[in-house]
Amino acid sequence: MTQHESKITDPKVVVEGVSKHFMRRDEELPVLEDIDLAVKPGEFVCILGPSGCGKSTLLNIVAGFEKPSAGRVTIEGEEVTGPDPRRVFVFQEYGIFPWASVWDNVALGLRNMTDKRKQQETVEHYINLVGLGGFESSYPRELSGGMKQRVEVARALAVSPDVIYMDEPFGALDSLTRLTMRAELIRIWQAEEKTILFVTHDVDESIQLAERIVVISDRPGRIAEVVDVDLPHPRDLGSPEYGQIKNRLYELLGVSNVV
Amino acid sequence: MSTWPFVVMVAAVFIQRTSKGWSEVAQKVVMPLGVAAIGVSLWQLGCDWAGAEIIPTPWRTALAMREITASDRLLGDSLASLYRVTWGFLLAAATAIPLGLVVGWSTRSFWAMNPIIQGLRPISPIAWIPFAILWFGIGDGAGIFLIFLSSFFPICVGTMAGVRNISLVHQRSAANFGVSGFELMRRVVLPGAMPQIITSLRIALGVAWLVIVAAEMCGMDSGLGYLINDARFMGNRYDLVAATMMVIGLIGIVLDLLIRRLENFDEVKWGYVKQ
Ligand SMILES: Nc1ncnc2c1ncn2[C@@H]1O[C@H](COP(=O)(O)OP(=O)(O)O)[C@@H](O)[C@H]1O
Ligand SMILES: [Mg+2]
Repeated sequence: MTQHESKITDPKVVVEGVSKHFMRRDEELPVLEDIDLAVKPGEFVCILGPSGCGKSTLLNIVAGFEKPSAGRVTIEGEEVTGPDPRRVFVFQEYGIFPWASVWDNVALGLRNMTDKRKQQETVEHYINLVGLGGFESSYPRELSGGMKQRVEVARALAVSPDVIYMDEPFGALDSLTRLTMRAELIRIWQAEEKTILFVTHDVDESIQLAERIVVISDRPGRIAEVVDVDLPHPRDLGSPEYGQIKNRLYELLGVSNVV
Repeated sequence: MSTWPFVVMVAAVFIQRTSKGWSEVAQKVVMPLGVAAIGVSLWQLGCDWAGAEIIPTPWRTALAMREITASDRLLGDSLASLYRVTWGFLLAAATAIPLGLVVGWSTRSFWAMNPIIQGLRPISPIAWIPFAILWFGIGDGAGIFLIFLSSFFPICVGTMAGVRNISLVHQRSAANFGVSGFELMRRVVLPGAMPQIITSLRIALGVAWLVIVAAEMCGMDSGLGYLINDARFMGNRYDLVAATMMVIGLIGIVLDLLIRRLENFDEVKWGYVKQ
């Protein structure tokens, strides 16, 4: 980002010098080292890296679930000290409540709304948006993995958060469902103009989704490079630009694209 | 020496073996019935071997069963036992579940309470009988107190375990959407622990049904346990003892079937899915 651009739009989420280490027995395990990152409002940023490099740890710190060992995270200049309903996390392992119906799950963030008609409308709107109309009274155990993940996305969108954090949300889905879910996510992102931080270890997923890809090196995680993806949606997965970015990402991750 | 047990056992095994090609329903009926027939046959052989004074025969027991079901004492004593179990169990559930929720959720309460709970838990409720009688006298009060004690610890410990097993993603979801305080208990902690709470209720009711019989045998003047004592002391009617034991078993099965219905609610089914 150039000086000029940053004046036009102040960044939404700023990560400054964040490091994190865990204590494992008596040893200190460094997981993240000196992460700096600025995300613009409405931007879709993917955090890409091999398993175990600290992606989830980084996202959990940004979301306020964990404290950094050093550095800090600010959102609109305000330091993050804990989770906040204005920023919603979509978990890899289903975070929706298995004891509540689809409707109740989506209504979680709207539970204190006094205008019950408005509440009903909002919940319905988001259930329909993720294509689950008719499943309001179903319970999560009656739904497929993809449907559960949609419930979670609807639950997140229903509170109109300005930032959505997603930690490998489609990791457990089959490859076809994964493709559909990505397309839907892009549709929703374009319609609702959210800032999205999306963690993945899947190179293709990151190129299909992100405007910028933050590549994290193997543990201890450092930012290896930030790769811009200047391709319009819907993206042509066979285009030469796509292939170039893919090669660059594989190079950064230290693996060859040739098998 | 009776010969019919041998005939019955051979016939039972034969029918069980030939039932292999029958419908599933028929097999599910035939297989346990066969085992029951073999059991009764072995029982009869045991009587032949040890003498009918040591083991009442199946036939004598069946007659005794008719005798006690015809008398009005069986109903009264069953109701006395059930009354104590019901109240002791409900009081235990009403106190142990809230305590377990709080102690399971709050780390500091856990530190404070867990040693005491774990220390009292291994004491058999039977050991409390002297105090139960000292404090409540012979009667329902002592029985209810003992059932309360025997149900309280399984329910409390089960609830605590259920709460502590609530997954991190659900805790974080709740925190993310600002759910806290009493609402957190009602919307997340209680429903999240509910499958394990229900399992602990089942265990507790089973234990309560075991304990009430022992308690009534040791220090009460009504109930199924007392009925057993009575049959024994009023003329060594071991056939009545055996018949009463069967009634106790049957009521125990019915109680378990009733409480298992709690597992069928949509809100808790997720906790019982087989992997
Ligand atoms: N609470 C924790 N305590 C100790 N080590 C942890 C903890 N959380 C994560 N780690 C370790 O930190 C490293 C990075 O984990 P994570 O952020 O989950 O990686 P990723 O999401 O990139 O796969 C792993 O080696 C993991 O074992
Ligand atoms: Mg992860």
